[in-house]
Amino acid sequence: MKRVFTFLFISVLVLTTALAVVSGSVVTSKYGVVAAANEYAARIGAEILERGGNALDAAIAVSFALGVAEPYASGIGGEGYAVVRLANGERYAVDFKSVAPALASYDKINGKLSSIKYTAKGACVPGVVAGAAEVWKIGATMPWAELIKPSIELARKGLVVNETFASVVSDTYERLLENAPEFLKEGMLAWEVGDIFTNPALADTLELIAREGPAAFYKGKIADDIERFMLEHEGFMRKSDLENYKAVVREPLHGTYRGFDVYVPHPPVSGPQLLAILNILENFNLSAFSWEDPLAVHIIQQVLVLEDVDRRYFISDPDFFDLPTKGFISKEYAKTRLMELNLNKAMDPSTYFDHVGNAYAFEEGGTYEEVLLEGVKVSSVDPMNSYEFPSTTHFSVVDKYGNAVAWTQTLSSFFGTSMYVDGFFLNNEIGNFASTYREGDVINLEPGKRPRTTICPTIIEKDGKVRYVLGTPGGGRIISTITQLVVDLIDFGMSPEEAVKTPKFVGYAFYKDLRMEKGFPETTIRFLEEVLGHKVKLYEYPSLYFGGPNIVAVKSDGTMVGVGSIRRNGAAACPER
Amino acid sequence: MKKFLFMVLVFLTFNILAFGAATSTQVPMLEAPVMVVSAGQSPGALQFSVVAKMAKLPHTFEKLLRAEDFDPTKYKTLVLVVGASSKGLGAAGIDFEAEVKRVVALAEKAKAHKIPIVICHLEGATRRGPMSDRILDALAAYASIFMVKTSSDEDGKFKSLSEEFKVPLLYFQKTSDLKNIIQEHFVY
Repeated sequence: MKRVFTFLFISVLVLTTALAVVSGSVVTSKYGVVAAANEYAARIGAEILERGGNALDAAIAVSFALGVAEPYASGIGGEGYAVVRLANGERYAVDFKSVAPALASYDKINGKLSSIKYTAKGACVPGVVAGAAEVWKIGATMPWAELIKPSIELARKGLVVNETFASVVSDTYERLLENAPEFLKEGMLAWEVGDIFTNPALADTLELIAREGPAAFYKGKIADDIERFMLEHEGFMRKSDLENYKAVVREPLHGTYRGFDVYVPHPPVSGPQLLAILNILENFNLSAFSWEDPLAVHIIQQVLVLEDVDRRYFISDPDFFDLPTKGFISKEYAKTRLMELNLNKAMDPSTYFDHVGNAYAFEEGGTYEEVLLEGVKVSSVDPMNSYEFPSTTHFSVVDKYGNAVAWTQTLSSFFGTSMYVDGFFLNNEIGNFASTYREGDVINLEPGKRPRTTICPTIIEKDGKVRYVLGTPGGGRIISTITQLVVDLIDFGMSPEEAVKTPKFVGYAFYKDLRMEKGFPETTIRFLEEVLGHKVKLYEYPSLYFGGPNIVAVKSDGTMVGVGSIRRNGAAACPER
Repeated sequence: MKKFLFMVLVFLTFNILAFGAATSTQVPMLEAPVMVVSAGQSPGALQFSVVAKMAKLPHTFEKLLRAEDFDPTKYKTLVLVVGASSKGLGAAGIDFEAEVKRVVALAEKAKAHKIPIVICHLEGATRRGPMSDRILDALAAYASIFMVKTSSDEDGKFKSLSEEFKVPLLYFQKTSDLKNIIQEHFVY
């Protein structure tokens, strides 16, 4: 009996010494924090911090780990965007969005792009591995292979399937059974809560990437495997597309909101849209309201709709268009958008696209009075509709040195194309281009173009210090949810936990109703409907539909608070010391 | 003695978890061939069909079978797998109310021809939203037997329905455990 106790005591001691990491839905630490949509991934990031790695090391490890733990939401077959802030004050925006393959064109598709979303043709050239490599070059401190090693172990030893995993697999079961039976349990059954999910094929692939570097993916065996798969399944992607792929590193876009500095991605993702929204909202004294005040909900929701309309004209791949980004994120342009708002009545959804602005007029500066007195007209192009899924994943990392990373990655739909190569799924980002060619549309499919999406990893600073690192998945709900996080934190003075937990709503140009999570007072709902004329549609709380936002907040004394994604079984984790 | 009792307990637990637990109501023997139909257009019915294949149960899977297309002379059991999915309904191009009417009409026809009806739910608690429960409530009166994953009945709804309609209820822990239930309760 004594021997058993001694064994148990030593085991516990070894475990606690080796894995001095704490995780939960909310954690507080002075030694760095990771917040993510999955506890395994968050803990892997925290373990890297605990071993002396910085936020960039941890972020790379978390990116690979999420591909193992949430194979439906992201992975090396996908794409994304990261905003990085180094302790020395340098900032980087790392664009690892996918690109349309050279062979992709409307001529080669019978019908609409939507018809190929779940075929090999739906895949764009993946960027995650190249993005991770760029972040590593910017300022990681640990060897590349060491950052991938925990994910290899996770893929081999397995993880316990949680409700989100099981539910997403169940929802996509039919497609998986047809296209990726080798991913399923025993090659045919849906993974269930409590199962141990392993992925030895992905472990082998990650081992190759760890050993040979990103070249294994873009020039080596994995590129060969992808090309072979594409030829067998009549897809567009070729090895040459992978060889030509490059992640792009820039300085992030910068805006301000009530004295805070906001750093966001460039087009083709929604950084400019978030800044444009905050510029308009800054004209309202929102702190005089509360989160559930119907007038505050109305103002924010209508602003979200207006800037979603603008997004469809002003955001695309900057390598293909001269976009009016400077004008779109200017405070003066925001005043012209403010003039579109009606505080008494919700806009008629059928007229949303009559409210498009003209950000081009503000590209060269100028006040809103000057521009409007000149009588500039807005450009008009029919916007395209596209359904956006609640897929994708986001994580936030801050270390004890002052480095921070906001990172969002995705496969587009859950499981992307559902095409499965070497243990990972290929994205279906092609669905984010216009479904059919439309003259003048900024999102027409073109070889080498990056598709427009709504992701927006964000870092907010105050007086030169990181205060909030945040982001969310959620397709068309992403910008609505991020805006509400910012307003909840800055205007309503909520704690990060409160901001994540507060029920969310959406403003989106293609939703004719006002979609809200349950939890708002009955009076708010009635006022929105009966006085302001909104048509409210309620969703259960918490709902994955509104994304899986997570935050790391840094208090003025340097204490970090991480909040995981409560809508998605997420977690935050930190080293104990 | 302690060891014996422990073994009995382990045996019972194993049987309950792996092979399903039936309520005290007599469990009918079911015959093949079987028609498997979705009630709500979630992927649950396809999962049932996959397990039925594993169990080598002679069956036909028709996601959207309508009463008028159901030939009662060809099938000896009707399995309705309940699970409402907005996405599935959208893909099938039918609205929810039409789906409820379709499956109720199918159940009525089967009952009229004295074909036993299995009501199955195998997608757990996440597939127990208001829409799934509406279908379930509409079909419960027609059930000859319920086959239900334990995590689908966390709130005891199936247990209540089983008691109310005096219909046996078989639980299974994992979807693959359904294979044992099929092999045990279907004659083929």
